[in-house]
Amino acid sequence: MPSVPSTYAGVADVVAVLVLLTEFAMLRAPRLRSQVRLYMFQSLVVVALAVDIAAVRHIGDLYGVAVFSFVLKVVLVPAIVMRLIGDSDVDLAGSPVLGVASMVLIALAVSVFGFFAVGSLHVHSATLPAAALAIAGAVVLVAFVLIILRSDTVSQAMGFFSLENGVSVASLVVAAGLPLVVEVAFLFDLLVAVVVFGVIMRVHHGRTRSLSTEELDRLKG
Amino acid sequence: MVPPQGVQALQVLTILLGAPLVSGVISHVEARLQGRRGPRVLQPYYDLAKLFRKETVVPEESSWVFLAGPVVAFGCYLIVPLLIPVLTTYGLPLGYMGDILGGGFILAFAGFSVAMAGTESGAPYAQLGSSRAMTFGALIEPTILFVVFAVALITSTDLPYALAATVRSSASEVVSPGHVLAAVAFFLVVLADTGRVPVETHSGTLELGMIDEGRTLEHSGPPLALLQWGSAMKQLILYTILIDVFVAPWGLAASGSPVSVALSIPALLAKAVLLGCIFAVIDNLFSKLRLFKITEFLAAAFLLAVLAVFVFYAGGG
Repeated sequence: MPSVPSTYAGVADVVAVLVLLTEFAMLRAPRLRSQVRLYMFQSLVVVALAVDIAAVRHIGDLYGVAVFSFVLKVVLVPAIVMRLIGDSDVDLAGSPVLGVASMVLIALAVSVFGFFAVGSLHVHSATLPAAALAIAGAVVLVAFVLIILRSDTVSQAMGFFSLENGVSVASLVVAAGLPLVVEVAFLFDLLVAVVVFGVIMRVHHGRTRSLSTEELDRLKG
Repeated sequence: MVPPQGVQALQVLTILLGAPLVSGVISHVEARLQGRRGPRVLQPYYDLAKLFRKETVVPEESSWVFLAGPVVAFGCYLIVPLLIPVLTTYGLPLGYMGDILGGGFILAFAGFSVAMAGTESGAPYAQLGSSRAMTFGALIEPTILFVVFAVALITSTDLPYALAATVRSSASEVVSPGHVLAAVAFFLVVLADTGRVPVETHSGTLELGMIDEGRTLEHSGPPLALLQWGSAMKQLILYTILIDVFVAPWGLAASGSPVSVALSIPALLAKAVLLGCIFAVIDNLFSKLRLFKITEFLAAAFLLAVLAVFVFYAGGG
């Protein structure tokens, strides 16, 4: 393995930190549209990481993955979700139980757990930017917090999509040479999820005139 | 050669005499951005001179604490410049007397004495301001602690001189993710601590939104002058820490030669004014947060500081 330039590790760490910060910003964002815009930014950053790794390690396949991800995660998914939000004219949402500050603190505690959990795996190698991997773990956990604490279908969908971004960062950092087919299969999964979430949002809004999952208590006794 | 003791005295004098100038420039720039002509740049000096000539009015119920508070706070603000790199890159004799936490304690003690003086006045708005200042001060404290931890992880000491030296030694240190996070967190702390816009409007007269400004409502004459001068000094001290320790510790005197020491004073003031202009722009771009939303702002600052520590811990510093 050729020695990887230290700028590569630096870029990977900066990207990972940016992805984690956007994840927190999505947790804070009260407006659904700004959440989608944050997701766009997050995806763009992940695409930039893919391009960087492709250039540094000379992996041609990654350029293809980057193009696929760009089309899907920066253009297509946000456009679809924006349209769904536009149809339902609901734009404000938040957590029904917790204030923003408490949500951030909980997410912070969870991400610290993620840090230590990934750190205790002792995945070390000369070519691996250690911080980026740990942060990617934290991103996944914060995305879970987002899905659990926010009670509207859009936030939950965005949480799921951004969870995929966290996984992307981890896989790019650990196994950049993953075969193209596997990467594309991941993205295809995402596409399926978009369709499913789109149907959920449509049906849910059609039934209850809102996007809030608080309304889903019809089966309670 | 200027003796180290002389440089040390100059540090205090720079903060003491430069602080009203920096405040004046900031409020001038701010007014210009809002399309007003604004006060003269030297206006804070005239205000202080005027207040020192006025008589002191003391509320009937208050005790000696009311008058002692401003003096104690002023004394604290004179001590802190001894501990931080204001003009020089090399440590001065008293510079190792305390670390960043020590400086933080002294600043907190100054805030405490002003709050005590405000409470002692017996007036509701001054007490409201004091109570709020203490509450939000307690919420800012964890952020400061984590910023200090981040600093300690970079340099394995929390002396401000050591961090400034690390930052100067390699430019790439300034853009490493952990350092950027810690610096931004400290920037937000400065924003909150100097009573700037997302937290407080510092020039308004609306008592209900007041935090820092509210504490001084009952003071008059020379004590009020000391309080205003003190808050200008606190602002310049915090700017100096942000500039000379975190962001741009360049232009400091590397030796005791008179020329480099003399040059470092305008360099510091120029950098402080530049930073102040950034704060003035922020003042105009954002609106004040509702009082109960301030916790969200402080939670964001805390988040950045904690992430800075963990990024270092994970080895990405």
